Amino acid sequence: MAEKKERYQNRIELLQGTLDLLILQTLQWGAQHGYGISVAIRNRSGELLQVDTGSLYPALHRLEKQKWIAAEWRISENNQRAKFYRLTAAGKKQLSKERSRWSQLSDAIAGVLNPEQR
Amino acid sequence: MSFWRRKKREAELYEEVRSHLEMAKRERVERGDTAKDAERAARREFGNIELVKDVTRGAWGWRWLEEFVEDARYGLRRMRKSPGFTAIAVLTLALGIGANSAIFSLVNGILLSSLPYVNPEQLVRLTGAYPKGAIVAMREQVNTMDVGAYDEGQELNLTGFGQPVRLTGTLVSAELFSILGARPELGRTFYPGEDVPGQDNFVILSHALWEQRFGSDATILGRSIELGGVSRQVIGVMPADFRFPSTKTQVWIPLHNDPRNAVNFWAGDFMPGIGRLRPGSTMQQAQTEIRMFQSHVGALFPWPMPASWNANASVVRLQNGMVAEVRARLLILLGAVALVLMIACSNVANLTLSRAATREKEISIRSALGAGRQRITRQLLTESVLQALFGGLLGLAFAKEGLILLKAVLPADTPRLDEVRMDWHVLVFTGTLATLTGIVFGLAPALHSARAALTEALKSGGRGTAVSVSQRLRRSLAIAQVALAVLLVIAAGLMIRSFWALSHVNPGFRAEHVLTARITPNESFCSDPMRCLAFYRNVVDQAQAFPGTSGVALVNTLPLGGRVSKRSLDVENYDLPPGEDSPLFWLNVVTPEYFRVMGISLLSGRGFTDSDVSGAPVAVVTAETARRFWPNQSAIGKHIRLLDDKDWRTVVGVIPDVRAYDLQRNAPEWIGGTAYVPYNATATLEDRRIPSEMTIAIRTASDDSEIAMMLRNSVAALNHEVPVSEVKTMNAVVSEAVATPASTTALLAVFAALALVLGTIGIYGVLSFLVSNRTREIGVRMALGAQRGDVLRSVMGEGAKLSLAGIALGMAGAFAVMRVLSGELYGVGATDPLTFCGVAILVAFVALVACYVPARRAMRVDPVVALRYE
Repeated sequence: MAEKKERYQNRIELLQGTLDLLILQTLQWGAQHGYGISVAIRNRSGELLQVDTGSLYPALHRLEKQKWIAAEWRISENNQRAKFYRLTAAGKKQLSKERSRWSQLSDAIAGVLNPEQR
Repeated sequence: MSFWRRKKREAELYEEVRSHLEMAKRERVERGDTAKDAERAARREFGNIELVKDVTRGAWGWRWLEEFVEDARYGLRRMRKSPGFTAIAVLTLALGIGANSAIFSLVNGILLSSLPYVNPEQLVRLTGAYPKGAIVAMREQVNTMDVGAYDEGQELNLTGFGQPVRLTGTLVSAELFSILGARPELGRTFYPGEDVPGQDNFVILSHALWEQRFGSDATILGRSIELGGVSRQVIGVMPADFRFPSTKTQVWIPLHNDPRNAVNFWAGDFMPGIGRLRPGSTMQQAQTEIRMFQSHVGALFPWPMPASWNANASVVRLQNGMVAEVRARLLILLGAVALVLMIACSNVANLTLSRAATREKEISIRSALGAGRQRITRQLLTESVLQALFGGLLGLAFAKEGLILLKAVLPADTPRLDEVRMDWHVLVFTGTLATLTGIVFGLAPALHSARAALTEALKSGGRGTAVSVSQRLRRSLAIAQVALAVLLVIAAGLMIRSFWALSHVNPGFRAEHVLTARITPNESFCSDPMRCLAFYRNVVDQAQAFPGTSGVALVNTLPLGGRVSKRSLDVENYDLPPGEDSPLFWLNVVTPEYFRVMGISLLSGRGFTDSDVSGAPVAVVTAETARRFWPNQSAIGKHIRLLDDKDWRTVVGVIPDVRAYDLQRNAPEWIGGTAYVPYNATATLEDRRIPSEMTIAIRTASDDSEIAMMLRNSVAALNHEVPVSEVKTMNAVVSEAVATPASTTALLAVFAALALVLGTIGIYGVLSFLVSNRTREIGVRMALGAQRGDVLRSVMGEGAKLSLAGIALGMAGAFAVMRVLSGELYGVGATDPLTFCGVAILVAFVALVACYVPARRAMRVDPVVALRYE
């Protein structure tokens, strides 16, 4: 309990690169609000990845500050006002960069885990 | 980020979170949950809303500012809630910070702030002493700078404007004003060339003199005034803030550069030079050039100059040159107040620590609610910085009053004292100091509390490591306080001992019941020695008739009067060391009554009698002089001769040494001996004239002011052009001679007292806390049969350990650093064992008293109550 905030921060740090990648990737298919992003990640990962709100929102605000995504208030399909995020041009570039880094990383990990396949 | 943008962002974040929850809830409702369950589930899934918002705000990047405002608000609220603690802390800090601000104002105004002249960084002072001829040569030959000179402290009579007055003037070379870049308030300054005979009958007035003596009348410009018997045209008035070389100067008069008068031109007054570096020149180049100049200027003199003359001549910044003699003293005071502030800091740190114990729960809760360790540290630090800033604000008020006191306590001749004020430098200094102070005294307690928050969490009544760490910290702080206090008290003790020694010096004369005054006809009046002597004889005769008068005498240089009259003398049968000229004596010209009036006793031989004035030439010397020139034999009957006289004078008496130069020295180092001769036509000074500026000394039982008035009246009746100035008792002359050490001593004593009080409070606080912390333990011990005496001994023992450690540390520190004081000390060493021991005993005693109060409280602990406690 006492270190709850630190726990959050630890997890943000742990997930930071990955979460950013997931958010950017999700937004590639169109603008989405925070709730929509978390649902989309959950669904596409086959319910495996549960995005913590305490990580999601700081990440969104951070990405917005870095101008990789932009936000605007819109009315959702359920007729509700929500903050929609969309990918910017800089964000697209960042996405491809992060994707290639991710594939390098996963290749590398795969190589370590399964050396005989090399 | 502006306030309204932050507001908007905050609202958007709220909206964003709300819409998230709303959508999650709707989805669950659509899947068939009830509205209530859906809401609960959505919230559960979301997590701690406030925390999510908090970490999200963290991503905005300016969270710290917001948190700072929060912390500051919270800190203010806490301060309001514990006014007692706040008052003590703020007051303690205000004393420490205020003392520092006041002394810093002095340091700033005197040592740091630039001189009020154009491009002051180009101004330099030449430390050598040069006659006019050398200055003129330098002006022509030196390329790295424009050179001028000034000779302060020339005294002149202003006559023809009401009562005659004695003015202090400064002789300046014509370029001085343009070198300084100083502009007049009225009229003009000197043009180049206006310092040679025939073109130099001008004068520039100070603003103060113009106001007091000439009623701020602008038509004075162009008119002539009579100065020292010479008529001079007033060409300008300087503004009130022009005070070069010091506030004493009332008129500026051109140097009289007359190469035809070789004696005056090459041997008259020796004065320092001033220069302005020319564009592109550096101090280093100027220094080199002056050294070069020094190596060949001797050849210009009509007689050989000793190699020692200006051997160490150098170029220093004018600013440093003007304040050299006060620098050490100011820095000592600054060091003293810095120590006081350190004690105040550790005092408040201790207070804060003991309060931290009562705040443990609050901090645990904050930590439980998600505050990180860094966050808690920051919040506690904000509180201490706030306290310190309030302390600084109050300290500024103290400093403002303190500065007025300081200016009154410091000797009036302290250079640049009138330029000292609290300007924005002082404000910035105080603000920075307060912030740093807050961090320094707050850091240890804050770090400690934050750590305690993590380890102790919500356990109540914790007696774990945190408390023992806190105890250790508190003990170290108390020891440090005592050590610092000891350091300061030793410094003050040494100064007091030195001052006591100085004021109990036997000056060689009796100062009581002697009234003195300068009676100074113009020099031209005394160019006829007989007229001059007759005038003075009449003055003495009339003064002798004043009621209550038991003796009247004249002397050219009053002891401790700040003037030296030098004269080269031949001593019969004295072999001059090779390469040396006749020894330079301090020649006192006196009337026969002088020794009796001043209470100067005789060691051997006789004093002067009236018959000596007209009879065979005689002299009296001091014991030191007799020892130097006639060691192991009687000086009586030996002969000395004023240089260029043809008659030898017989030494008829030897008097004890008189502290004539200052209370520590009979004469400056460059004086070889002291002689007294009767005032008559043969008693000539270096200019081969008899002294025309005599001081009268009247031994009287009457009221001083009455005698002073009678004296003024009779002098005015004898010659209405002769001013009477510097009327003061001999006691006043003596106390002026100790004004500087007196002020330093007084200030150090005040700071030491402050340090002792704060240090004592520190010891008291630690022990009180200890006792209240151990109440239960003491109760148990007493229940188990411990006697009250045991308890008292135990607590006192604890206090004694702290005090002794502090005293030992302080004495060791003092031993190491007291050398900085040695320049200010007289008659006592910087590591005087008596002072060290005395201070140790004093501080130990005070600390013991401080320990006794909590110890007695411990002794009276009622075991029954104590065991119920907690």
